[in-house]
Amino acid sequence: MARCEDPEQGPLTAAGSGVFAADDEVGRDLALVDWRATPLGPPEEWPQSLQTAVSILLSSRFSMWMAWGPELTFFCNAAYRRDTLGRKYPWALGRPASEVWAEIWDDIGPRIDTVLATGKATWDEALLLFLERAGYPEETYHTFSYSPLRDDSGTVVGMLCVVSEETERVIGERRMATLRDLGSDPSVVRTEQEMLAFACRQLGRNLRDLPFTLTYLYQDGGGARLAGVTGISAGHPAAPLTLPADDRDAVWPAAALARGESVVVPLDPVPDDRAPFAGLPAGDWPEPPTQALVVPLLQQGSAPYGFLVAALNRYRALDEAYRGFVELAAGHVAAGVASARSYQAQQRRAEELAELDRAKTVFFSNISHEFRTPLTLIMGPVEELRGRLQGADAQVREELEVIRRNGLRLGKLVNTLLDFSRIEAGRMQASYEPVDLAEVTAELASLFRSAIDKAGLAFRVDCPPMDEPVYIDRGMWEKVVLNLLSNALKFTFEGSIGVTVRGEDDHAVVTVTDTGIGVPADEVPRLFERFHRIENARSRSNEGSGIGLALVQELVGLHGGTITADSTEGEGTRFTIRLPYGSAHLPAEAITAAGTGAGATAADPYVEEALRWLPADDGGEPAGDTMGMSSREGSAARSGGSAAPARVLVADDNADMREYLVRLLKGAGYQVSTVGDGMEALDAVRADAPDLVVSDVMMPRLDGLSLVAALRSDPRTAAVPVVLLSARAGQEASIEGLQAGADDYLVKPFTAAELLARVRANMDMARLRQHQARWRTALVDSLQEAFFVCDERGAVVEINSAFTDILGYGPENLPYTPIHPWWPDAATDPEAHRQVADAFGGLLGPGQGSYTIPVTHRDGHRMWVSVTFNHAQDPDTGRRVVVGTLRDVTAEHYAIQRESALASLSTSLSQAGSLSDALTGALRELQSLWRARSVLAAVFDQGDEPTVTATGEPVDWHGLPEERRRTLTDLLQRPLLTPVAGDDGVGIMLEHPEGQLALWVDLGGHRPFTGEDQVLLSLLAGRLAQGLVRAHQIDQQRETAIALQRAILGPAQLPEGFAVRYEPATRPLEVGGDWYDTVALPGGRIGIVVGDCVGRGVEAAAVMGQLRSACRALLLQDDSPARVLMALDQFAAGVPGAKCTTVFCAVLDPETGRLSYSSAGHPPGILAHPDGSTGLLDGGRSVPLAVRPGATRPESETVIPARATLMLYTDGLVERRRRPLYSGIDQASQAVQDGRNVAVDDLATQVMIRLAPADGYDDDVALLLYRHPAPLEMTFPAESSQLAPVRKALRGWLGQCDLPTQIVQNILVAAGEACANAIEHGHRHTPGDIVRLRAEASVDNLRLTVADSGRWKSPEPEANAHRGRGVALMRAMMQQVTITPGPYGTTVDMQMRIA
Amino acid sequence: MTTPLTLTPGVRPDGVALLTAAGEIDMSNTDTLAAALESTPGPVVIDLTSVEYLDSAGLSVLFAHADRITLIANPLLTPVLTISGLADLATVHEGGPDVR
Repeated sequence: MARCEDPEQGPLTAAGSGVFAADDEVGRDLALVDWRATPLGPPEEWPQSLQTAVSILLSSRFSMWMAWGPELTFFCNAAYRRDTLGRKYPWALGRPASEVWAEIWDDIGPRIDTVLATGKATWDEALLLFLERAGYPEETYHTFSYSPLRDDSGTVVGMLCVVSEETERVIGERRMATLRDLGSDPSVVRTEQEMLAFACRQLGRNLRDLPFTLTYLYQDGGGARLAGVTGISAGHPAAPLTLPADDRDAVWPAAALARGESVVVPLDPVPDDRAPFAGLPAGDWPEPPTQALVVPLLQQGSAPYGFLVAALNRYRALDEAYRGFVELAAGHVAAGVASARSYQAQQRRAEELAELDRAKTVFFSNISHEFRTPLTLIMGPVEELRGRLQGADAQVREELEVIRRNGLRLGKLVNTLLDFSRIEAGRMQASYEPVDLAEVTAELASLFRSAIDKAGLAFRVDCPPMDEPVYIDRGMWEKVVLNLLSNALKFTFEGSIGVTVRGEDDHAVVTVTDTGIGVPADEVPRLFERFHRIENARSRSNEGSGIGLALVQELVGLHGGTITADSTEGEGTRFTIRLPYGSAHLPAEAITAAGTGAGATAADPYVEEALRWLPADDGGEPAGDTMGMSSREGSAARSGGSAAPARVLVADDNADMREYLVRLLKGAGYQVSTVGDGMEALDAVRADAPDLVVSDVMMPRLDGLSLVAALRSDPRTAAVPVVLLSARAGQEASIEGLQAGADDYLVKPFTAAELLARVRANMDMARLRQHQARWRTALVDSLQEAFFVCDERGAVVEINSAFTDILGYGPENLPYTPIHPWWPDAATDPEAHRQVADAFGGLLGPGQGSYTIPVTHRDGHRMWVSVTFNHAQDPDTGRRVVVGTLRDVTAEHYAIQRESALASLSTSLSQAGSLSDALTGALRELQSLWRARSVLAAVFDQGDEPTVTATGEPVDWHGLPEERRRTLTDLLQRPLLTPVAGDDGVGIMLEHPEGQLALWVDLGGHRPFTGEDQVLLSLLAGRLAQGLVRAHQIDQQRETAIALQRAILGPAQLPEGFAVRYEPATRPLEVGGDWYDTVALPGGRIGIVVGDCVGRGVEAAAVMGQLRSACRALLLQDDSPARVLMALDQFAAGVPGAKCTTVFCAVLDPETGRLSYSSAGHPPGILAHPDGSTGLLDGGRSVPLAVRPGATRPESETVIPARATLMLYTDGLVERRRRPLYSGIDQASQAVQDGRNVAVDDLATQVMIRLAPADGYDDDVALLLYRHPAPLEMTFPAESSQLAPVRKALRGWLGQCDLPTQIVQNILVAAGEACANAIEHGHRHTPGDIVRLRAEASVDNLRLTVADSGRWKSPEPEANAHRGRGVALMRAMMQQVTITPGPYGTTVDMQMRIA
Repeated sequence: MTTPLTLTPGVRPDGVALLTAAGEIDMSNTDTLAAALESTPGPVVIDLTSVEYLDSAGLSVLFAHADRITLIANPLLTPVLTISGLADLATVHEGGPDVR
C-alpha cells in the first residue's frame, strides 16, 4: 500500500531526535526514555550504526526487538509490542534485556552470548518460552533469529531479533491433533468400555492442554461413576470412584452438569492438605493446574450421559478457543458413548430375532420328521386291521374309524407344517405345468360337493373354460383350493359356498365365497398370519391350528400370485386369488410340459375331516366313492399292508392275450396296466414298480428272459416278482426261465384259476420277501439325514425321501449318473464345480471320508451340504457300492457368510470418507451379497422430498416409479430394523443421521427371501445405521480440522492488490501441504511465496507450517528469492518430509512492478497482460527443495506491466489425470485472461470454480493473485492543506497505471473536487475528521471513491457557486459519478473507461 | 500547510500587467491568488503555463475577474477552463509544454 505522506513530512515531530521518527507511538515512548541514565547516552550522541539500526527496527512492520551496548539495552517496534511484549510495554524500553526477559533469560541468554561472541546468527523454530507479559507465566512459542549488530567500527555490540510468535499455531496444531486422534478410531463399533479406553488414550497423549481428565457417567440409580481417567489415578481424592446423587459437598458439581451447564471449578488445595485438590498431578507442566473446566457429555434431546472434568493448563488463559477445544473433546466422548449404547441395543435386538428364527426352524423340522415315521407305523396297521376286521362288531369298526380319521388329520397337519418348513428353507419342490385353471379348480371343488350338500348348503361352481393356460403346481394348487373350501365349510352354517374362475387382462381370478359368520374388520389384516386364530368365532369344529390360510398365502405367493380377503361380519367372506398368465414369473427350471404333473390327489384328509364336522347319519362310512377307487369287492386283490389294490403289469405283444389277461386279473380285483414289449415293461417298472409283472417270454426288442435279467440286475427292481408265460413246454424251458431269475413259469395254455393262483402265491411270497426290504426302506426314509447309494461308477442308484427334501431330486429319475445334476454349473461357477469334483474323486477312491460342498437344488438355489460316505458290498450282487449320508449345512454356511457379510460391510463403512460414500459403498455391498437387481435408499430428511441413493444409475425421488415410492413411504410406518417383504424384494427402515432411511433391496424376479436372509438384513441394517452415524461424525471432524488448518495458513492480513484461496482435496477430504504467503519487507517490498509439500494429511500440514515460517524469516533477512530458496534448501534438508517440496518465491516492488523470482520445481506463474496476451514466469527454474542442497539457484526478473494480473498456484489447480500439464496451464491462463477486468478477489473465486473438475479437486490447491498496481487507499484529515500531498500520491499511483497525461489530469481534477467537497462541506464544523480515498484500476476501467464521515449541508447556491462548478467538473471529467449522501457520511463514486 | 504556489507580478513589454503563476492552485491557496489579483488593477495577463493543477476554487477567483483578465494556459488545463465556461468569458492563449 502506498503511504499517504512522505517520510520527512510525517505528522510526527518527536522531541529532540529524528531517530525515533519512523514510528509514531513507540517512537514517542522511546523518546521519553531517560537515555542519559543508560550506557547508550542521549540519542543525539548515538553512533550512526545505532541510529540506523533503531530506524530500521521502527520502520519494520515485522515483529522485532534489539539489544545494544554493554547492558544489551532493549528496543522494540510496534509489531513486537503488539504480538509479544504485552504489559511490559513501555516499561521495558531502555532497560537491560536481561531484566526485560528475566523469566526466560536462561533460555535466550546463552543464544545471545553466542551471537555476540561469534557474530553468527541463530535460528530457533517454535521454541517454548514462558513469558510473563499478561500477569501470569504464559506458554508461548516463538520462531526467531538472532543476528549480530555492529557499530561503526564493525565490532559486534548488539543483536537484532526477528521473531514470529507461533503460540496460536503450535497450540492449535496440538489441539487439532488430539481432536483428530479422538475421531480416528479405526473400528466401526465397540463397547462403551472400549470406546472410553480409546478416548482416554487419546486425551492422555495431550498432557499440556489436559493435565488430567476425569470422565464420569451418570448411573441409573442417581449419582455418577468414574468411567475414565487420564493423567491422574482413579481413586485420588479428586477422582472418587463414585459421586453420590444430591451431595452438595461432592468434589464435582454433578447436579449442575446434569442440567447441561459447564462449570469452571477452582482447584484450590487450601485450607488443609487433606482437601481433595491437594497433591494434584501436573501433567506435562512443572506446577499442578489451578482450575478445571467441567463440561457435560450432552445427549441429544435428553439429559447428559455424564461429564468430563478437564484440568486446565495453568499457563494458558481459558479463552474461547480453549473452551471450544474442551467442549469438542467432550463432544467426541459423548458421541462415542451414544454410538456404543445404540450399537449395544441394536445388537441385542438382532440376536433376539435370530434366536426366534432358529427356534422356529428347529420346531418345524423336528415335528415334521419326528411325527411322520410313527404316523406311518400307526396308519399301516390300522388299514390292515380295517381289512381284517370287516366282520367285527360295529363298535370295534367305529373305534377303528376314529383312529383312522384322526390319523389322517394328524398326517394332514404334519404335511402342512412340513410344507411350511420347506417353503421357509426355500426347498419347496414345485413343478409348474400349464393347465386350464377353470377345469382343474372345478374338479377339485367337486370333491367337496358331497360334504357341502350334506351340510345343507348350496354349492355354486362357476368355472367356464379359459382361453389362456395358467401355470400351477397341481399339488400346491390342490392344497390352496381344498384349504379354502374347508375353511368356508367350517364357518358357514346356512346359505351357500361359491367358487368362480375368470380371466382378466393378464391374470386369472379365482374366488371362493361363503355366506358364513364373516370376520370382524380389525381381524381381516391378520387372517393370513400363521397360528393366528380368531377367538370365540362360531365354527363347526374347534379343531384347527390356524395355519391353513397362512399356507394358502405362501403357496399362492410361490405361484407369483396374490390372495386377498374381504369380509363382513355376519354376512360372509370372499377370498380372491390372482394368478398371472404365462411362466415368466416362475423359475424356468421348475416348468414342465402339460400333463406331466398329474398325480393322485390328497383330497381325502380334507374331505374326511370336513365330513366329520357334519352331523353323523351313519356309522361314519367315509365318502369312499369320491376317492375314485375301484370296487370294494375282490378283497383278495388287496395286499396285506395297504388299502390299495395290488398292481400288476402285463407285458405281451399279443393284443388278444393282453385283453384276456387284463380281464382275468381285473376280475380278481387287481389294478392292471399293460405294455407291448420287454423294453416298455422295463421303463414302466423303473418308473413305478408294480407289485407283480406277468410277462410273455417271446416279445420284440427285449424278450421275457432278458427283461427278468435286466430287472434283477438293478437293485431298485430286483425284488419285483415276475411270472413268465411261455408257449414252450418242457422242463428245460422252465429251468431257463427260473435261472434267469423269474419267480414262476406258466406254460400256455393255462387255466384262469391256475394263473390267478400263481399270481396270488407269488405276490404273497414277494410280500414276505419284501418285508425285510420295506423295513429297511422305512428306516432309511425315516432318517433325517439324506441317504444315498452309489454304484462303483459313481451313479446314485438309491436315495431316501430326505434326500429329495434336501436336493429336490426324487427317486423317479434314478439312477443319477455323474456328472450329477446337482453339481454347480462348471461354466457359471467353476470354483464350486471344482470343489464338488474333488469331493467326488475322493468318494470313488478307497476308504471313508467327509466333505462340505456347494450343490445346486433342483429349483436352482445354492445349498451347502456335508457329505459322509463309506464303502460297502452289496450282499446280493457282491458289487462294491458307496453308502453315504448328506446333511443340509446351508444355515451354518450362511451363518459364517453372515459374519463375513457383516465384516465386509464394516470394512466398507470404515473406509468411507464421507456420509454419502458410506451409504453408496454399503448399498453396493448389499447388492453383491444378494446378487440383487438394485438396492436403493431414500432418506426422509428435512428436505422437500426424500434424498435417494441407488446402486447403478443415479436417480432422484421423481425418477422412481409411483409404486416404488409408495412402498418406500409405507415403510415409514414400520418399526425400525424389521424387514418387510414385498412382491419383488424386501425393505427395511433404519436411522440415518439426517432422518429416517427406507432401504429397498430389489431381488428382481421371483426368489424366496428366507428367514435367514431377513435376519441378515436386519443385522446389516443395524450395522449400517451405526456406520452412518460414524461417517457423519467423520464429516464433522474433518470440517473442524480444515477450519483449524485454514486458521494456521497464510498471513493474517493480505497486502492491497492480492487475493488468495486455499481449497482442500475433495476426496478424501483431508488437510494438505499447499500454502501461500506474503511477507512485508523493508522498503515497502513484498515477499510472495506459494509452495506445495509432498503428501497430505497432518504430517504434510506440519511440514508446511515449518517451511512457511522459515521462508518468512529468510525473506526478512535476504531479499533475493534465489538465495532464500538456497537457504531453504538447507533448512528443508533437516526437516523430515520437507524434501521435494516445490516453492515459487518472489519479491515484488509494488511501486515499479519489478518482480524477481526463483522457482524450486514449481509450476510457472501466469501473467495476464492488459492487451489480452499471456506470459509465463518460467525463468529462474531449478529443482525442488533439498534435492541438491548447496547448489546455486538461478533468479529471474520481470516487470509486471500496469494493470496486468499475476497468478501463482499449486499443481492441484492444473494437474489432471491423462492430460498434459500444459493443457491445464493454458486453461488457467485463459481463465485469468478472461477475468482481467474483474476485481481481483472475484477473479480468485471465478478461477477456482472454472478450473474445478466435475467431482471436485482431487488434490489441495493454493492460489495467489496480484493485480498491478495495487489499489491506492488513503485516509487523511479533512483539511485543505492535505489536498496537495493527496494529489501527489494519486498522481504517483496513476503514473504506475501507465495512463496518458490528459487522462491523469482529468482524474486529478475530479478527485480534487471530490476531496475539496469532503473537506469544505462534510467537515465545515469539525475540521480534522477523516476522509478516505480509494482508487482501483483494472484493464479498462478506473474507479475512484471518496468518502467522508460528515453530513453534507443542503446546497446553498449563493455561498457555493464554485462548489456547484466543482460537481459539474467531476461529472465532465469522469464517465460516471454517483454521490450517495447518508446519515454517517457521503460517498462519491466515480468511474472512467481507460482503454 | 498550503499548496506550493508562487505568484510573480510583472509588466509585459506592451505595458499590460502580468501575473506569472507556478505550482498548483486549490482551495488552500486561492486566497493568495485573489489577493494578488485585487492588488493589480486594470487588465492583467495571467500566465498559468507552469500551473499543473487548477480546481474549481481557483476558477471562482478567476471568474470574479473574468472581464479583465487574459489567460496563458498549459494545454493540461484546457478542459477545465473550457468546461467551466471561463474560456467563453476570458481570452485564453495556449502556451507551455505540449500534452503528451
